[in-house]
Amino acid sequence: MSVARRTFIQLGAGATVGILFTPTVWKALDDVSIWTQNWPWIPTLKYGAIENKPTVSKMCESGCAVKVRTVAGEPFGTMGNEDNPISGGGICPLCANGVQVKNSPNRIKAPMLNGEEITWEKAQEVVAEKLAAAGSKVAVVSGDQTGTANEVFSALLADKGSDAFYVMPCDMQAADKAWTGLMGGTGQIGYDLEGADLVLLAGADALESWGPTVANLKSFAANESGKFIFAGPMQTKTASVTSKWVPVPAEGMAAFTLGIAYYVLQAGKTADTADFGQFKAMVMSEYSPAKVEAATGVKADQMAALAKQLLTASNPVVVPAGPVAAHGAAFALNLLLGGAMKALPEFAKAIPSAMSRSEMLKADILEGVEADLLFVYEANPAYALPEKIKAGFTVAFDMVQTETTATANLVLPSPHPYERFDDLASPYGLAAATYSLGAPVCESSVDASNAATFILGLADLGFESFEEVIGAKTEAIGADMDALQGGEAYVVEGQTPMAASLAANVLGKASVPVKGTGTVGLAPYTLLNVGTANQATTPNAPCTISNNQLIGDHMVVMMGSATAKQLGVTVGAKVKLSGGKGECEALVQIFEGVMPGVVAAPLGLGHTVGDEFSKGKGDNVYKILTVSSEAAAGASTWAGSTVNVAKI
Amino acid sequence: MSHFKEFKIKWGMVIDIDKCTGCGACMVGCQVENNIAPMTKSDPYNYVQALTKPRDDASNKLRTLTWMNVYELSNGMAFPEHETAYLPRPCMQCGNPACVPVCPVVATDKNEEGGIVSQIYPRCIGCRYCMAACPYHARYFNWWDPLWPEGMDKGLSPSTSVRPRGVVEKCNFCHSRYLQAKDKARMDGEDPMNLPDGAYTTACADICPTKAITFGDLNNPEHRVHELAKGPHAFRLLEKLGLHPQVYYVSEREWVRKQGDNYNADAGGHH
Amino acid sequence: MDSKLFPEGAQRCSFGKFLIWTAVILAFFLWGLYAAVLVLYNGIGTTGLDNYFGFGAWITFDLAVIALGAGAFFTGLLKYILKIKQLEKIINLTVVVGFICYSGAMLVLTLDIGQPGRAWFGYWHPNVHSMLTEVIFCITCYCTVLIIEFVPLVLEQKQLNKIPFIHALAHNMHVNMALFAGLGAFLSTFHQGSLGGMYGVLIGRPFAFREGFFIWPWTFFLFVLSAVGSGPVFTVLVATFMEKLTGKKLVDFKTKALMGKIAGTMLTVYMFFKILDTWAWATGYLPSVGLTFDEMFYGMVYGKWLLYTEIVLCGVVPAIMLITPSIRNRPALLYTAAILDCIGVSLNRYIFTVQTIAFPAMPFDQWQVYNPNWVEYASSIMIVAYGFLVLSLVYRYLPLFPQERELN
Repeated sequence: MSVARRTFIQLGAGATVGILFTPTVWKALDDVSIWTQNWPWIPTLKYGAIENKPTVSKMCESGCAVKVRTVAGEPFGTMGNEDNPISGGGICPLCANGVQVKNSPNRIKAPMLNGEEITWEKAQEVVAEKLAAAGSKVAVVSGDQTGTANEVFSALLADKGSDAFYVMPCDMQAADKAWTGLMGGTGQIGYDLEGADLVLLAGADALESWGPTVANLKSFAANESGKFIFAGPMQTKTASVTSKWVPVPAEGMAAFTLGIAYYVLQAGKTADTADFGQFKAMVMSEYSPAKVEAATGVKADQMAALAKQLLTASNPVVVPAGPVAAHGAAFALNLLLGGAMKALPEFAKAIPSAMSRSEMLKADILEGVEADLLFVYEANPAYALPEKIKAGFTVAFDMVQTETTATANLVLPSPHPYERFDDLASPYGLAAATYSLGAPVCESSVDASNAATFILGLADLGFESFEEVIGAKTEAIGADMDALQGGEAYVVEGQTPMAASLAANVLGKASVPVKGTGTVGLAPYTLLNVGTANQATTPNAPCTISNNQLIGDHMVVMMGSATAKQLGVTVGAKVKLSGGKGECEALVQIFEGVMPGVVAAPLGLGHTVGDEFSKGKGDNVYKILTVSSEAAAGASTWAGSTVNVAKI
Repeated sequence: MSHFKEFKIKWGMVIDIDKCTGCGACMVGCQVENNIAPMTKSDPYNYVQALTKPRDDASNKLRTLTWMNVYELSNGMAFPEHETAYLPRPCMQCGNPACVPVCPVVATDKNEEGGIVSQIYPRCIGCRYCMAACPYHARYFNWWDPLWPEGMDKGLSPSTSVRPRGVVEKCNFCHSRYLQAKDKARMDGEDPMNLPDGAYTTACADICPTKAITFGDLNNPEHRVHELAKGPHAFRLLEKLGLHPQVYYVSEREWVRKQGDNYNADAGGHH
Repeated sequence: MDSKLFPEGAQRCSFGKFLIWTAVILAFFLWGLYAAVLVLYNGIGTTGLDNYFGFGAWITFDLAVIALGAGAFFTGLLKYILKIKQLEKIINLTVVVGFICYSGAMLVLTLDIGQPGRAWFGYWHPNVHSMLTEVIFCITCYCTVLIIEFVPLVLEQKQLNKIPFIHALAHNMHVNMALFAGLGAFLSTFHQGSLGGMYGVLIGRPFAFREGFFIWPWTFFLFVLSAVGSGPVFTVLVATFMEKLTGKKLVDFKTKALMGKIAGTMLTVYMFFKILDTWAWATGYLPSVGLTFDEMFYGMVYGKWLLYTEIVLCGVVPAIMLITPSIRNRPALLYTAAILDCIGVSLNRYIFTVQTIAFPAMPFDQWQVYNPNWVEYASSIMIVAYGFLVLSLVYRYLPLFPQERELN
């Protein structure tokens, strides 16, 4: 071997061995891989005992019973409460994100007077002053449909000689107006969705956003043999699991229901009321199938088929939604059928001077609110009812910043449901009177104070704190506080509903479909993951919002291909919808699950105040809803909204 | 070459499409359980971000991390015959996975009783070959570092470590719950390899308000999924590809079942 | 100014002119480097890739340059093992082109993987079933081989070569070059094949999946054949481009035509098997999983025209041109065929990378379209600029072309 070759081989071998055996290379590689597992900006987890603490959640309008999952005392997630009939183990997408909303930087951190931070003592002073000055011109708008906090607010009003208690527009209100107002019934209407063998959802989006959604879904799933049918202008998510979708325009729902009643009456069914004869005559003459078909477009044989199914069922129920007339018609039909509709007794009051539920539901917010001093409790009327509310001084209680808190004079942070005592009594729709409550799972991370406790400090209502009020409520009902705090519900069976009248005269007039003057009908719909009137979409929810609702930052409206052709638009076209006092921009999507001549638009988008997940996404469809008066029924309704659609 | 693996215990799901309303609770619950950060578009601390694209917000469905993803199905008919259905899709934990054999660094494997396909974040180099392999689109990549709005990373779930950018992640049937269930069985003096039905469930199955998702051991006759998976209307997605998914679907509607696989033209074609 | 560094007897442009040329290249390079830094700082989210398209422009670029850089190993195999002496006229260039292609691909890969610090895991935690493990091994080893093949050329720099130790080292490396060439050919065949194998094993992706021989799907063999069917002519194109730029003749036409003949022959073999494979896939495999050929295509962006262009215009046509002496021996036609050939192979890599994963396997899912963005383009162009830079330096200072003196 030549010297040069030997050198070459030595060099080569030496270099290889040297590189392999020096520790630098291997140590460096190993260190790098450890660094790549421990980037300092990636949060590390905290461990500890895991406990699931029961409480109630008010994130959706009905409220739900949940269990908050905590690790070493810190909440991190939400799960259902199997022991509680309101949940049955499941929860909706809003509650699923409850902890994330609680921890959001969008929380209101401290009381704010005209944008400046003040103390709670100062806030108390300011409000007491305004209260004294306002006299009886005080009003309350409450976004909480089921809590005893409403008793505290209404008791304050009573103390001041006012009865201006308002709820945000809801089916619970329409149902009460129809049942106790027009038909002289007692109790709160409920529907036994689990026990019924045929359920006709006449507009009620029960499996997505109507009523106690989670309880409805649980009942639907448990009801193995029952048949569910959905009627409405659009194939909502409810319709994806019902046996059938019956296309019915929203404003025609009452007429449609009476059209079915025609066949039921023809089959010989009766109801035990004084005006039954009058009712029957009214339906047979004015709501004959031909007339209903002409007014609503629903075919006579469709109604006949539905009537036949309802008659053959042994425990049928019709569940209404929308205008008062639609509720009245459905209640009348249920009375004729004698099926799974229930009347729930009301629970005893904690505060004697408080309003009853019916009394709270009397005032019609769509007619507008005017007051010197207005309390808004966890509601967002500035978003959902723009320009309806006028007040000299507004005090808004909420946990996160909203359009309403942005325009209120005094903003008072309320604790998140998981941070406070709260209760819920008989969400509208349940088949049995149900009472649940919850104690705080953790301390509030902001300087918040229970709204009802604050109100108790303004008048002598006999209680110092809301916790005491809940204690009194529990006692008045006769329930066991310990069981309730453990997550169980106190249940009283629903009764057979009894009405004094079928409101023949009023229903006859009010059920006539009334539609706006725009070119196409507007079918607004609510999806919980998109948000409700009071609660915007939550931080982890936007990825669940599909391209049928939102594309980028643009709202999407859906229409059938026939409607699109009529309007001269195609998929993806940018359009302007004008209705009511406003207009919205949207992109067009073709979806064959919308009636011809109707555009479906999602409610809950278009927030101008909020966190980055809800602000600036889409447009606010509440702006373009038109209010029409149900003069005969003494109410107002959004049903029958129409819009004009123009290409941009 | 088949990489089919059989285990004594086979964790699987039977999802009833006729009960799923597409509400999205399972998707949100999955994100919360697994510490998936909300999609934050702007990073207030990163001045360099503006030089390229902004981060993605959740409207970009091709960048969201949805280990559980709900698809909307349509029968493709015109009004009024139109029908919709919703199909929740977790990771199929395939018996013959397409992803496991392709990972160059064994960051994903199917090597444990129960048959859950693992995904090990500290091992993953982020080459995304497994993502190219999976036809169910069950695998997701961390295109960005996770970014929680201020204060929101306080309450994190102890179940799943937080991933940095550059690694792949996917549904693992809430594996830490499996470990907890086995621990509990040991503490109670029971057999951890013979868990009763319901001792171990996933977050999505727990949360679903209609209980459309049933979870359990497909091989165990005492678990509900065992019978449900053999029902007359049960089907799996893309069975013809031979991946042996462990997630079954049930629907009484034939048009839904037909969309579970490809059937050579008319029925089940693309819209 | 730097004329002392020029190769023996060679003329080069002025230093000033060279600096201007370099500055232009550097501008592109720095723009691409800027994009690369942004990717490393902000994350791969800065690109146009997404959950449907985990592979995109970078992988396409990598596979294309690796295929086109195959001239290195194949020419090496033919010269050192099969002893075809004519090829020594161009062998240096093939090595440099190969080196640029492989080192460039590896640079892009540091951007493309999410945790580049863990790249070495492919060695420490290999997966015997994974084609990509094989690719990692072979590409890194082969890059090392290319460096070893490149080093002697550098050592032959006129001034460096005057140092006795360096001269001896260069000489010894040359003597042992056959060993490296053989090793390189072995490694190359495997990783060119494994890159094809990567797609062929995807049982979840009907567009790319193929049966095969033992553990190797047919795409394994197709990718090797297409690489050797285009690599040599890519080198010819590079040489011709350099001739146009420098105004000199660098390689005699006879050698170019020989490379064309080699590539053309392999391309013809490839096209035969490729057409056979496509037909068998379309009529045999696809129906077996319930799919039709038509379903594999979508609109214009993933239309059938891509397939036909790849196979006919950029496959069969250049194959015929290159194996027909009367066509091959006319320079303009040789270069045209070479360009079509290289485009065809690049198209093939693009189609297999992108269209494979664009097809929505689940019937209720949608086709998606992939659009790379400026970050991906810029970083890819950075590698091209890198190539220009290396070749410019090599051409200026190293004896790259043995025929340069006699031809000018």
